[in-house]
Amino acid sequence: MAEKKKSEKEKEPDMTFYHPDLLEVPENGLPYLKGYKCKKCGQLDFPKLDPCPTCWGEEFEMVPLSRKGILYSFSDLYIGQPGLKTPYICGYIDLPENIRIFAMLKGEVNTFKCDEEVELTTGHIRMNADGLPITSYMFQKV
Amino acid sequence: MKLQRDVYIAGVGETIFGKHKMDYDELGRLAAFQAIKASNIEKPGMIGSAYVGNAHNGIVTGQTIFKDIGICGTAPIINVESACSAGAMAVHLAIKDVACGLTELSMGVGAENHTLRRKSGTAFMPAMSDIEAVHGGVMTGKYAMRATRYMYETGATIEDLALITQKNRRHATHNPHASFKGEYSIEEIVNSRMVAYPLTLHQCCGVVDGAGAVVVCSGDMIKKLGIQKPVKIRGSVVTSGPYHNRPRDITGDDITEMTSAMLYEESGIGPKEVDILELHDAFTIAELLYYECMQLCEKGEGLKFLRDGQATYGGQCVVSPRGGMLSYGHPIGASGAAQIAANVKQLRGECNGYQVEPIPRIAMSHVTGGGLSGTEHAACTMHMISKDW
Repeated sequence: MAEKKKSEKEKEPDMTFYHPDLLEVPENGLPYLKGYKCKKCGQLDFPKLDPCPTCWGEEFEMVPLSRKGILYSFSDLYIGQPGLKTPYICGYIDLPENIRIFAMLKGEVNTFKCDEEVELTTGHIRMNADGLPITSYMFQKV
Repeated sequence: MKLQRDVYIAGVGETIFGKHKMDYDELGRLAAFQAIKASNIEKPGMIGSAYVGNAHNGIVTGQTIFKDIGICGTAPIINVESACSAGAMAVHLAIKDVACGLTELSMGVGAENHTLRRKSGTAFMPAMSDIEAVHGGVMTGKYAMRATRYMYETGATIEDLALITQKNRRHATHNPHASFKGEYSIEEIVNSRMVAYPLTLHQCCGVVDGAGAVVVCSGDMIKKLGIQKPVKIRGSVVTSGPYHNRPRDITGDDITEMTSAMLYEESGIGPKEVDILELHDAFTIAELLYYECMQLCEKGEGLKFLRDGQATYGGQCVVSPRGGMLSYGHPIGASGAAQIAANVKQLRGECNGYQVEPIPRIAMSHVTGGGLSGTEHAACTMHMISKDW
């Protein structure tokens, strides 16, 4: 019985998309990030925080976030996480909705600058446990 | 934390920080026994409680350190984990026991061995449940982004950042506990391997092993032990990092600003009165920003403070007199306790070859912990201590 359970578990595929609650990739359209507005206090958050950290409200309205933002800061990483190919680039992107997103940046090292405009895109952020790429949000130069 | 009664440091211990074949428990035992001996504690049974900081080495780490030196079985041993803040948090908890009158004598230890377990060539990161970690976030990157922004806003250069490494390793030149020390040219620091732009290898703390230990006690006990040079705890503050996913200024550090302000209030000692300071210089940029966060100088004046020699011998406050993490390396559960141990030895004038002159009277230490998404750091622990003889 235990053996059967184990083999069933092994067949369960690992995540290839991060994360349907946070990122929407429409078939005919541009991807967007999903903000969540608390119905009780009105605070808009990304990622989804449930309950709302301000008032502990539990009901939210999904609000598509702006696709363009300002690159507040970044770093070209030459020593990274175990298993991630280097170099890769990370940055903080400030959206007009007063939200800061941490994301990988798509592009070349030595090319990004603080306060330049970047836009949402998608890409592979890492490999999953099955050796398949995981797709998530990324940002790139406009 | 308002101390309910006076608490003193009786004795401290620290190992050499570097690559060790000894595991964390042996290192922890070495530091703890040094501290016990320095406190004139002659036999088992006197220690009322012990707290042990460790981050990566497994379970029941404290009991493993203490089991065969006559402390297990006679005192509660409690293990403390908050990444880099763990060792200092262990000391904080020992102080709390004495301050509240729960014990007369307690100790805090930090011990860690990374090199027996960790593959080199990868960076520390939060757990995979963290949204920034999933997207490639690492601690080096977090600090590097601070540096990128700081350079963008102030016009500072990588050469400016390198001054921090040069100063700290110069301080450590004759410190037998430090691994990376002596004279480094700015070119050598700047041209070392790039880790996370703009942070090069010599601007990052090394991955090493080590331990520190601090014995604290009541006023009655310090007399009973016959300690000639009692060091008084003037303040001990632990905070957790506020969460915010909004744009904010990362050339500041909200948790360090908050914790240091609380420590100044608790101790009644202002930033300009601090003679020596060990802070969380895991990367060059951190020390530069923390001058401003801790109000050693005005906001925006950090680089001037450094260039004017205010952070070295003869300046306003000798920052990283033991050499800091840039010289010791940073076994993350150990560093916080080892900083306090090093500060006590400076106040007592015991640092042959790297003693700050004139002998300092007031010492401060600062260590943050963890880099969770939405926080600058998950934790921060600071201590203010002074000479009391």
